[in-house]
Formats: sequence, structure tokens, C-alpha cells
Amino acid sequence: MSGGSSAESTAGNPVAVVAQGVDMDFGTGAMAVKNAAFSLERGRFLTILGPSGSGKTTLLRMIAGFQTPTRGTILIGGRPADAVAPHRRSVGMVFQKLALFPHMTVEENVAFPLKMRRFNPREIPERVAHYLDLVRLAGFSKRRINALSGGQQQRVAIARALVFEPELLLLDEPLAALDRKLREEMQLEFRRIQKELGVTTINVTHDQREALVVSDEIIVMDQGEIQQQASPVGMYRRPANPFVAHFIGVSSFLTGRRTGTGLTVNGTECAGQAVDDIAPGLAAQGAIRAEQVRIAAPGGDLSGCDTVLEGQVSDSIFEGERLLYFVRLPALETTVQIYHHDPAEQAPYARGATVSVGWNARDLLIFPAKDR
Amino acid sequence: MPNPSPDFRYPLRWRLMDGVERLADTLWPRSMSRHTGWLFITPAILLVGLLVLGLIQIGDASLRVLDTATFLPSEDWSLTNYRKALASSTYLTVAWRSLSGAVLVTVLTLILAFPYAYALVRVRKAWIRKALLITLFLPFFIGQVVRAYGWLIILGNSGMVNEALSLVGVAPMRLLFNYGAVVFGLVQYMLPFAVLLLVPALTAIPEETETAAGSLGASWPRILWHVLLPMAKPGLIGAGLVVFTLTLTDFAVPAMLGGGSQDYIANAIYDQFFRTADQGLGSALALMLVAAGSVLVGLVFMVFGAGTLAMGGRK
Repeated sequence: MSGGSSAESTAGNPVAVVAQGVDMDFGTGAMAVKNAAFSLERGRFLTILGPSGSGKTTLLRMIAGFQTPTRGTILIGGRPADAVAPHRRSVGMVFQKLALFPHMTVEENVAFPLKMRRFNPREIPERVAHYLDLVRLAGFSKRRINALSGGQQQRVAIARALVFEPELLLLDEPLAALDRKLREEMQLEFRRIQKELGVTTINVTHDQREALVVSDEIIVMDQGEIQQQASPVGMYRRPANPFVAHFIGVSSFLTGRRTGTGLTVNGTECAGQAVDDIAPGLAAQGAIRAEQVRIAAPGGDLSGCDTVLEGQVSDSIFEGERLLYFVRLPALETTVQIYHHDPAEQAPYARGATVSVGWNARDLLIFPAKDR
Repeated sequence: MPNPSPDFRYPLRWRLMDGVERLADTLWPRSMSRHTGWLFITPAILLVGLLVLGLIQIGDASLRVLDTATFLPSEDWSLTNYRKALASSTYLTVAWRSLSGAVLVTVLTLILAFPYAYALVRVRKAWIRKALLITLFLPFFIGQVVRAYGWLIILGNSGMVNEALSLVGVAPMRLLFNYGAVVFGLVQYMLPFAVLLLVPALTAIPEETETAAGSLGASWPRILWHVLLPMAKPGLIGAGLVVFTLTLTDFAVPAMLGGGSQDYIANAIYDQFFRTADQGLGSALALMLVAAGSVLVGLVFMVFGAGTLAMGGRK
């Protein structure tokens, strides 16, 4: 049952979705989506990540067919989708506010797409039961939507979007409104169901943790433009530009000029490595992850660090499994953020305490400065 | 009491307000505050009470037969008036006309009001919404009689419509003083009420629900049938009940656009009270109208629930 009729028609085509030079201009000034191009293989879980207003939802709505690109083409299963109405596309969508039908039972909600898509009526109850089982809602079929908890409603929405075995599953920030515990639980559920069915999935979110947890691939968008497409690990380790470095993980930024071995900031040499080729002397920006900066008592053990500087603790935040320090570095005239794990092991450095701070050359990534 | 200087005085308005508050405290002490709500609805209760008293008096009158010799109501009670009304084929025709007219007007009004209300709720451009609202309410402010008179001018034998028809070579026809004219006038009169009652129900349906139904495979007519209409049901019932009861008891439109040939029950009651001065028969007719209307509304309540008229209460 996991293969499905719709998937067979496109079997042999390993690419599920392709976007080519897609623009969306609502005529309200800046373009909502600018020259978006990406391709997604079948069976993969892609997350489009970006701040609000980055164009991620617009891109998703174009894939669903609710909006037509101003320019460019979207291919689904190898066929151009532009002229295909949403209700004729083989796309299942879970909406931000779920958009369940309150006048129907759980069972009727899940059966709705099957009835609308004219499935054999004798097949419908069995299919509905199968998918309610998949989302672990067996036994809830006669319930009213309003009698369900938030998490259960999520599950109904997933079952309803999957029951007709679409080529593509779209998730429009459906977890945004849930509390943290439930959100994390549902992230794992999405991942489990996606792996179980192997359905190509595109998820939209502004939550970087969610993107890292659920996806095979991530696309980061900002101001309508795709910034980077990479695997979660690749994206985290090798952000393509300062925006991505800033948006995923916690990074500190150093502004200076490119030198042969790194970056000179305020006259101080900082060891680092360039992501792109930048000629020495040009303005550049360095980014370093909070967990890649090490902290020690003055003159303490920072062996292996290519750059060691002194600074004062300006603040520290207890986050449970770790401490986040803000350390002012007078030599660079800037403050860096540092994660210190196992805070229980030693007493934290007090505010105002002098500390040594160091990092490895390979962890300070150097980008060309955006504005000059 | 902190007092900055001996001759300091609070502003006059403050002292007045203090006085009012003290007065209110003596008249309605704090201990009574639990019952303040009742105090506020007392006028409404009194008003409804008066109405009930009136109904009792009408009930009494309906049981007394008019003595045609003395023109006085009889001393003793009997059901003669009711028997007379039920036996009369004229009244049965009038009753049937009112009921069938009310049903027809309700159905037509809802069919016309639904797309109008939908457009009001979903249209994005503010100026279009304003234009729709003004178009809806301008006739509303004019009043029923003036509006009916307007239709007399427009639909008359030498009115605008017949003039226009004669231009294309169609002979003038009688557009007024028939069943159709009354239904037409009533639908036009009821439309704003129905739209107003449908708008909240449609506003409560998120646009995303329609989008979702579309993405799940429903075409536009099926979205309307399977999602919009069922979700708008409370509004449709509320609007339908209001339009039905208002139409059933309407007086001016049947009188003016029906030209005496298309009387509704209200017109028959009017005739008994003010023309033949048979208060007994008029009262009997009035009570039968109240009963018929209440029974029908009660039936709708039982079958479909009260819709938006339940005001958030259970069915």
C-alpha cells in the first residue's frame, strides 16, 4: 500500500520536485520570491527554513498550486505543474491552522479527500482505518474534531493529507502553535511517518531546531532568495554566508580585513579559514559557533587553540545542560558568545571575571563582507 | 485625608460624581450588587410583560362574538370566531398564501443573500466591500412603505420597466398586484436582514478551510456543498427564521404591491380591526397567526437547532 497508484505513474523519475527560476511578485514592492531554483529527490524530507517574510510560505503555496509563479516553472514528478489546479495535483498539505472540518467526525475528515478524488467507495473505510492506525488514532474515528486535543488534531490533519497517497506532502508550519514538548513529539512523529511511507515531503518552518531534527535536506531563505541548500550537518558545519551562520546555531561575528592566515580585527590577528576566496586586505566577516570557542581561567589550558585572547565575562546564562557566556574581548572591541558544557563540573566564572578565550583556525569561518 | 491647603476644593465635576455615587449607594446598597444584573433587565421584562397582558386581552376578545345589532362584543365566551375563521375559504386562501409566500420568500432570500454575504466576507479590496454595504443598506434606510411605493412607480403600467419593454416592442404587461410582485417586494425587503445574519456565520469559516478542501481534491461546487453550506448552517437557520417570521407577519408589501388582491394574514387582521370593527374575529386570527408561527419556528428549532439565534447556547 505504501507505493500507491500515483507514485507508480512517475516511477523511474528520481526527482520529485524541481523549481526553475521561480519569481513571485505581488506588486507590493519587494518580490516575495526571487529566482528560486532547487530540486528535490523522491522520498526526501526537505525543510524550507527562514524568518517570517522570507518567502518560504509563498514558495510552498506555489508548489501546492494556490499561487501561480510570476515567472519560472515548477515541475512535480517531471511534469510542469503551473496549469494544474490544486485539486488536480497529487499534493497533500497540512495547514498552519490545520483547517480540519469541524462539522465532520475524524473518520469523515480523513475520508473527505478519498470521496472528492472518487476512490472506490468500498475501499474507503479500509484506507481510512489504515491511515488512522498509522497516525496512532485508531479508536478515535467517531470523535468530533472539537473533542480532540491539539496533538490529536495534528494527527488527523496528517492522516487526511496522506490518505490519498499523494506524490508530495507539504507541511505549512503546522507545529508553530504547539507548546514545546508537544512540538518536539510531533517532529519525531512527522519523521517516523515520512520514513515509514517514503513520501517526498516539504516542510516550512522558522524553527531551526525543527529543521535540523526532521530533515534530510534544508533550504534557508531570506528576503525571497534561497541562501543555501544542504544537509542539516552540511548546513551547520559549512554555512554558505553570514546569514545562514546567524540563522542556524549561535554564532559570534567578527568584522575586519582578510589576511593570509585569517582575519585582522581592530589590529589583532585572528586565525580562521575563508569559505570563499577573498583577496588579502579586503573587508571580511568571521563567524564562529558558540560551542567552538573555549573558555578557561587566565593562563589556563587552551592547548591546541590557534588564537587565544583575554576578556571579561559580561554575563552568563544557565540553560540547563550548558552555560552561555558573553565575554567582552577588549582587543577586538567585541563580545563573543561561548557555550560551556557540564557547568556542574566547576563553579561558573563570575560576572566581571577575567578569562582566557581561544579557538581553532578551522572553526572561524571567513566570509566576504556584505556591505562595504 | 491628605488635603494640601485648607481652601482646596476638588473640581465641581468630581464633587458632583461623588454625590451621585453616594446617592446610588443609599438607593442600591453594595450588598445588593449581586442583583444588579436583574435591575438592568427589569425594563425589558416589564415590556415583555405588557406584551403578554396584551395577548391575554386579545385572547379574551377572541372568545367574544360581535353582536351585529348592538355592535358590542358578547358577554359570554365561545369558540365561534375560531370556527368561523377555519370554515371560511377566504381565510384559508389567505393563510395558505401567507405561509407558502413566507416559505418561498425565505428560500429565495437565502439563495440571494448567501453569495452576497460571501462576497462581503471574502472580498479583499476595502472599497468593494464598502460599495456592497452601501448598496445593501441604502434601501434599508428608506423604509418599507416608501420603498414599496417606489416599486409601484417602477413596475407600474407606464413605469420604467414597461417603458423599456415597449422600446424593444413588447406590449405593456401587468407587473403589479399579483403574487409575484408581493414575493419580489418581500425578497428585496428581507435581503439586508438575511445578509446581516449570514455574515457572522461566514466570517467564522476560515478561508484556509476552503483552500484545504481544494487541495484535498474538492472542486468549487463541492467545496460549497460539502464544506461552506454545512459550516454556515447556523447562520442559514438564523437568517431563515428571521426572514420567515418577518415575512409571515408582513403587512405593507402585500397591501401595496398586492393591491388588495394578495392579502396576507396581517392584512386580514387589519381589516377586521379597522374596517369591519370585528375585534373578536380579528383577535382570533391574530392568535392563530401567533400559534402557527410559533409552531413552525419550534419545529425548526427541534429539527435543526436554533442556529445563530441560540446565541452560543446549546441547541
